[in-house]
Amino acid sequence: MGELAIIIPFLPVLSALIIFVFMHKARKAAARISVFLTLLTFLLALVELATYALGGFSRVEIIGTLWGSVWLDPLTLIMWSFVCGISLLVHMYSVRYMVEEANYTRFFALLDLMTATILFMVSAADLITFLVAWFMVGVVLYFLLGHDTDRPAAGRYAFWTQITYRAGDVPLWLAAFVLIRTYHSISLPDIFERLQMHPHVPAFWGLSVPELVGFLLAFAAFARSAQFLLHGWLPYTMDGPTPVSALMHAGIVNAGGFMFNRFFPVFEHASIVLHFVFIVGLITAVVGSAMMLIQNDVKRSLGYSTMGQMGFMVMECGVGAFALAVFHLIAHGFFKASLFLGAGNIIGEAREHDGVPSDPVYTSIVERRPAKPSRLPWLAAAALTIIVPVVVLSLSHLFVSTRLLHEQGVIILLFFGWVTGAQALFATHKMTHTNPWRLMGGILGSFVLVVIGYTLISHYFGHFLYPHGEAYQLYNAASINSLYFDILVILLALFFVGAWALTFFADSSGWWDRADQGRWRGVYLALYALLSRELYVNDLYARMTQILVQGARRINVLLRWC
Amino acid sequence: MHIIIWIIAGALLPWFPFSWIFNRLLVSAPGAWARALAVIVLPQLGLLLLLKSGAWLILGQEMPQALRALALFTAILYAYRAAGTRDVQIWARFMGTSGLSLTWLLIGLLPGHWGVQLFALAWSIPAALMLVWAGILTRKTGGSYLGLTGGFARVLPRLSVLMSLTALAATATPVFPNFFALLEAMESLPLIWMPLLLLVLLLWGWTVGRFLQDLLFGIYHGESLHDLSVGGTWLGGLALGIFALVGLFWGGIWIIN
Repeated sequence: MGELAIIIPFLPVLSALIIFVFMHKARKAAARISVFLTLLTFLLALVELATYALGGFSRVEIIGTLWGSVWLDPLTLIMWSFVCGISLLVHMYSVRYMVEEANYTRFFALLDLMTATILFMVSAADLITFLVAWFMVGVVLYFLLGHDTDRPAAGRYAFWTQITYRAGDVPLWLAAFVLIRTYHSISLPDIFERLQMHPHVPAFWGLSVPELVGFLLAFAAFARSAQFLLHGWLPYTMDGPTPVSALMHAGIVNAGGFMFNRFFPVFEHASIVLHFVFIVGLITAVVGSAMMLIQNDVKRSLGYSTMGQMGFMVMECGVGAFALAVFHLIAHGFFKASLFLGAGNIIGEAREHDGVPSDPVYTSIVERRPAKPSRLPWLAAAALTIIVPVVVLSLSHLFVSTRLLHEQGVIILLFFGWVTGAQALFATHKMTHTNPWRLMGGILGSFVLVVIGYTLISHYFGHFLYPHGEAYQLYNAASINSLYFDILVILLALFFVGAWALTFFADSSGWWDRADQGRWRGVYLALYALLSRELYVNDLYARMTQILVQGARRINVLLRWC
Repeated sequence: MHIIIWIIAGALLPWFPFSWIFNRLLVSAPGAWARALAVIVLPQLGLLLLLKSGAWLILGQEMPQALRALALFTAILYAYRAAGTRDVQIWARFMGTSGLSLTWLLIGLLPGHWGVQLFALAWSIPAALMLVWAGILTRKTGGSYLGLTGGFARVLPRLSVLMSLTALAATATPVFPNFFALLEAMESLPLIWMPLLLLVLLLWGWTVGRFLQDLLFGIYHGESLHDLSVGGTWLGGLALGIFALVGLFWGGIWIIN
């Protein structure tokens, strides 16, 4: 089994080498080899996962003599299966989608290299392998995003990604060396074992080693997972080929969530970092979702949706729900991959057919309105909106484990579940329909199914990932003072209920129409301009780059280019 | 006496302001091959001078903080300056200078002198290769300036691949040896100095990104060009491949030391 596991990350490397060296011009054969070896990698990863699930145990396999090792634990095996699955989808899709593009064979070789690099990254059992793989993801991604070299925009946005990734590499290097020097090992299992024995070793500025390392790792994760202020590159990765966008948004961008899970023993002793992570994730989720709403380009809209999802994933880590973050990244990966691959076809279709129907029957269907539009009584809608999600979410968690409802992290997630569910019900109530009870019933039924499925799966998934109760330690680490927590939850609940009520009454009394004519229009337009310019973050970075390059040129002239 | 030795050593194994002389020497070398040879030989001569004069031992007993700061400043300055140029030859010189100046951090810290000499070679070789590619580019296009045309990936695909890989090798990309050399430099530095070394890494990332953007992307509008021969490409690829393999096999030794 050990040898089989070591082969897995090397198979895509082998495929890339074969294509680079022997199949430079054999387009069909290169694609076939690439897809076949990715399929084989995926199957082997599944076999490894199944073997572990049927009674296997975590272990480290050494590849090199001094560094180079893979850690075959549940996290690695799950990530291997997930990464190979997404990669296989992208490979199969690319066979036909990229067929008219130049450098077809190079594209497959780079896809294979990217797959291999991610497989090494998620399985690294020592810090050097982890650093090498983490670093290489950025390099390979640069060439994948810049596949079409005829387009300067592709190069520009690939560069944005590369420099953001490098900015994230810097704190990771520092974190790695702090760990190596403090615990005198490069082996991750050894470091974590020693960290558990001596967690409060002082570092700098009154921080302990886990806290300092936790902050540094969090910054590295923020760059990879496009958290606010380091997010500018993500929506622009759409300028790369669509299969790369799918791989990027479904797999690579999840590296932040993976990193939190890989280094979870550090975060068990770094409560302050988890609180910080929660705030950053929350801001990113809100900003990403707001940006998504105003996009008129389907791929860019999906890009900002990813940003919002990444914010939510990081926020989950911030409340201590590390296993849920992994489940989230897998679920998000699959649905985002399908959305991107679907978007590619839709865009292609739209280019061929403008979609304006000439058929009057179609137009009449599109413009058809319900014969007798009606809504639920507002009291019934309000009761359903507020109470039903609370009941469904609480019961489903109670069914799984009563202990869960005592964890602050779970309460926070339940709160977000409640807000999301209630928002969906509220939006449903705003829709006019001939049979509003049927519509609401359908939505409620879907909501119950999703919540119960999600709760059950995520619970058993969490148990698989953290079988020794580490999940509860992480929840404890993320907890704050009970009084503050209760006040915060009550205030937030009042805020949301108040906002819904305000929206409801503003809607029914025609307030929006009046505001649209008055002075609020200026505020609305300013806000719209701010969001449509993406909060001027990218403009600011571009200006900074300009100033820095001008400075470098002046020094060069002064020193006569020597 | 010692001051003169240190100044000469600073001109051969560059640290600012004597790195100016090092660069001047490279510029004055006749032709690309001579420049490539010079970027390999001069730093080794500098190390030899330190070794033979006894300055090595002095540095080994206690590395002056000012010297450490100066070495890091040189690395930062030249990495930053490389971002402001679009000429391949100048870029190669600046990146070589930036990497080579870090050699000062290791003098006296590694057991024996071979480790330090190999450390210097890890930075010299990619710079030398890039100087050779710059010479070939000059022969084909009349200059090695990337700001006018760009889009070489389409018209000179083989040379572009070699230049791209060499640029990555020059900026401490895994699995080239200087990635592990940089890890070694980190290991030898007190933790408080490490952010400065990481700033160098960040600047290299920025610099190589700008370089590749100028080199590869866009549509070429100049006269038709002949790419590097297949044999030349294999030779260049082989040199880089061996360089990478050395990094893979040898990297771990640095880490453990």
